[in-house]
Amino acid sequence: MRLSWAAVLRHLVRHPAQLLLALVGLALGVATIAAVDMATASAARAFELSIDAVNGAATHEIVAGPAGIDERLYVALARAGLPIDFAPLVEGYAAIGDRSMQLVGIDPFASPAFDGSAFAAGAAAVQPGELARWFTQEGTLMMAPGTAEQLHLEPGDSFALEVSGRTRTAQLLARLRAERPGDETLLLTDIAQAQEWLHLIGHLSRIALRVPAGRDGELALARLKERLPAGVEVRAVGSRTRENIDLAATFTVNLQAMSLLALLVGFFLIYSAVSFAVVQRRATIGVLRALGATRRALLATLLGEAALIGAVGAVLGVLLGAVIGHALVRLVAGTINDLYFVVAVSRVTLPASSILKALAAGIGVALIAAAIPALEAAGSSPQLGLKRSVLEARAVDASRWLLLASALLGGAALAIVAGSTRSLFAGFVALFLLLLAVAALAPAALRASARAAAHLSARASPIAHLALNDIAASLSRTGVAVAALSLAVCAMIGVALMVDSFRESLHDWLGRTLRADFYVTAPGPGFARPERRIEPAVAAALVTMPGIIAHSESRRVRVESAAFGPVSLDALTLAPASYAGFQLTAGNAASVWSAYERGALVISEPLAWRLGLAVGKELTLITARGPHTFEVAGIYREYGNDAGTALLNRAAYARWWQDDAVTALGLYLAPAAQAGAVLAQLHAAAAGRQALLIRSNAEVRALSMSIFERTFTITRVLYWLTAGVAALSLVSALVAWELERARELALLRSLGLTPRGVALLIEAQTGFIGVVALLTALPAGVLTALMLIDVVNRRAFGWQIDLHVDVQAFGTAAAVALAAALVAGLYPSWRSARAPLAQAIREE
Amino acid sequence: MLRISDLSRSFREGERVHRVLDHVSAQIGAGEVVAIVGRSGSGKSTLLNLVSGIDRADGGTIEFDGRVVSALGEPERTLFRRKHVGFVYQLFNLLPTLDVEENVRLVLELNGVRGAAARARSRTALAEVGLGERLHSRVDVLSGGEQQRVAIARALVHEPALLLADEPTGNLDQGSAREIVPLLRALAQRRSAALLIATHDPALARAADRVLELIDGRLQARALEEGS
Repeated sequence: MRLSWAAVLRHLVRHPAQLLLALVGLALGVATIAAVDMATASAARAFELSIDAVNGAATHEIVAGPAGIDERLYVALARAGLPIDFAPLVEGYAAIGDRSMQLVGIDPFASPAFDGSAFAAGAAAVQPGELARWFTQEGTLMMAPGTAEQLHLEPGDSFALEVSGRTRTAQLLARLRAERPGDETLLLTDIAQAQEWLHLIGHLSRIALRVPAGRDGELALARLKERLPAGVEVRAVGSRTRENIDLAATFTVNLQAMSLLALLVGFFLIYSAVSFAVVQRRATIGVLRALGATRRALLATLLGEAALIGAVGAVLGVLLGAVIGHALVRLVAGTINDLYFVVAVSRVTLPASSILKALAAGIGVALIAAAIPALEAAGSSPQLGLKRSVLEARAVDASRWLLLASALLGGAALAIVAGSTRSLFAGFVALFLLLLAVAALAPAALRASARAAAHLSARASPIAHLALNDIAASLSRTGVAVAALSLAVCAMIGVALMVDSFRESLHDWLGRTLRADFYVTAPGPGFARPERRIEPAVAAALVTMPGIIAHSESRRVRVESAAFGPVSLDALTLAPASYAGFQLTAGNAASVWSAYERGALVISEPLAWRLGLAVGKELTLITARGPHTFEVAGIYREYGNDAGTALLNRAAYARWWQDDAVTALGLYLAPAAQAGAVLAQLHAAAAGRQALLIRSNAEVRALSMSIFERTFTITRVLYWLTAGVAALSLVSALVAWELERARELALLRSLGLTPRGVALLIEAQTGFIGVVALLTALPAGVLTALMLIDVVNRRAFGWQIDLHVDVQAFGTAAAVALAAALVAGLYPSWRSARAPLAQAIREE
Repeated sequence: MLRISDLSRSFREGERVHRVLDHVSAQIGAGEVVAIVGRSGSGKSTLLNLVSGIDRADGGTIEFDGRVVSALGEPERTLFRRKHVGFVYQLFNLLPTLDVEENVRLVLELNGVRGAAARARSRTALAEVGLGERLHSRVDVLSGGEQQRVAIARALVHEPALLLADEPTGNLDQGSAREIVPLLRALAQRRSAALLIATHDPALARAADRVLELIDGRLQARALEEGS
């Protein structure tokens, strides 16, 4: 290593604690980014793999609505003489114990042409001697070797399979010959068996196609389309996968924004550590300059050092991110299962692009953080190096400029919000500008408050006067600390208020919407999966139970729209008391519900926002009878599904989609009925027929709130990571400050201040910084909450949330700010109390 | 060799402008030893900083071997200092993160001399100052006198034509100071380097060929016998 580099870089090796702080801050910030990427990418990848594992060489698919495709269509197409391979499929979800599996019914004779597909693999796994059992023995299926091993199943073993509330007896016929990514969640069975289990007798979920490439293929596809009945479509394989993943895109973007916040706070930690390291080496830098080291060479050395720290910190961050990501992936997959699509994540992967992104972010942040102190050090004249007084004078100047920058950043944030109406990206940019404005404001606020307090305390106590003046006079250190802390506290208050407001709005909404006394649903994974249905006989028994005076029926499915991809549809037969549960935000109640009864749609706010729909506009959906344009009669408030829901009269739904299944029932008790007794009767009526989820109104509310809390668990994890980085940043900056003025503190002790007095002085100073950070962050935190609620959430999901200010959100933020500030003072207090006085006074 | 003409430098102290050097002129030949004396704050260190190119004058010129140093831009002044100037400080200014030999070799490395040649030259320079046995010692364990010897070796290892010493004995005990002065002079003369010493130590001033005194920002010749 060159000696000029060695002279500078060996400093950090001799101060490992300082190096460690910088690395920890950087690693935590990078880890948060890597972990979020890892969790979301793993969930999306698992979903893609599960689809790819099934599709293999298929190029297209024929799909229809929730009722599926008439199987006679497959027979007709297969006999049509088109140069296309067809494979019929029946798909749904089943569970073995608590393990969710994808159940796929295949035709072993139609499948071999589809290389790489699950059905080709399944067909290959069936030995000629086993074909008879495949077709004749009830409940036979196949799974991947690894899955069978994990479930301790050997060929011939029987086991219980839960399908839509019914327990079926299944038997492992054979294991697949090889295991490919995505196979681990697959269960393959005969198509007729799957039709029976999934209540799709006579119907197929879809038909996989292998269409030859080129002109011949296009012609064949065109001929195929001519033969398709209304409501049945052919589409490229993968487009549906993409649409499903896109539904969760906003959720992913929100998580990524939270992880960026952690890195932003981490920036201050790096800045603090790097600038301290530069200031500590001002003598070395000055000597090197006097000996003839050029500014450029010194700058290269200091930035090279930062890049090295950045690279090491980023690598550590990626490794730490992999650990956090493993924990986070379960939370993310849980939320995706609750809200978007069914996914079982069995492999956690961190894509190469995410690793590169994390490394670039780490090195970039370290370089930017180091640039200011490095430019300052390399740019100063050699005899000055970086004298403390010069540095402080510059810090005061910088705080004045930052005040101006704060106003500009705040103004820019407002201008961006005002100038853009739908862009979520613009919303996040505005939010980050607002947070930066708070950070930029904090040093000037600290200096002004410290000077004012010093002025007020001048007569009362010279020591207090000195302590407060020191804060104002050491802005190069204290300014960084207060900026990092106020930014983090502001973000914490904003996020906490947003979550609280959301919780309150959801609570109110549930109270208003959930009108029935009991809710009955067919169990199973996935929102709006068609196989989740209550068997008609069971439903009839439940609604005619003594003590039940009214009921509502719901069929929840996902249907295709002509222009916007999949749309969640809730087809309802409403009980008279149910109408009032919908809080209309657009449209007159009387006209909305009469139009609804005539077959118009009532859509939720998130759907209206996502598709840009308003009352009076139209939405074309692909029904079993072909595309049909529905009028939008009203818009209602909804927090249950961030992609939005369309309500349709169930009679109209049955007519258009030829599906009269029921997914859920709402049961209303007679006034005199005993809830407990009726509940027992309901369970008894379903017992042995279908394992239904029968929950009381209070249980459904509690469940909904628990799903909400689970969704925000990730936010909370990121929130505390950010708080942790901020606390470290504060500790780093304050420790640096206290260590720098060890001589001054020793002088105070030599004049008679006791070690306890010095400790109190230091704690009072760090506490004062914590209080100023908190006071700066309080109003800014409320603004941040408003920005999160009215801009980010609105643009991301279309939700309208009422701001609910909970004192507890401020209490937690105050506790974090003050605790971090006081903890930051502990080590310097301890150190200065123990330092040998004579040596401390001699040292410069 | 070194010609200083009408050199001025002022510093602002609040509202007041303090003129430290006021049209200073001097000329110093190769191999000559000149002491600059004056009370504390008279501008001795400022003059050395201007001559070395560390600081810039408000007016006047500094010419070294026919080259106008005061007209050079910052990067050129740095390169000039690196190649032609050696500096010895009162507080030694050794780099604590480098050992004795590395501190000396650093200057050679900055001048593009690396590897075995650089090692050999730095060892020779350290042997000249009597520290051939302490090559890999940490500098902060050396005595003040030893640290100043390392600083002298560092100042001379690249054979500069101009050696500047700012109160080189100011932080040394009397014994060490007595050893340092002749060493500095002998090593400078062996290399025919001009030696400019800023000092208020009369003994050190007596060792110079010429003494110049800074009074009220102006430089005046002072007879050697007056230095006691």
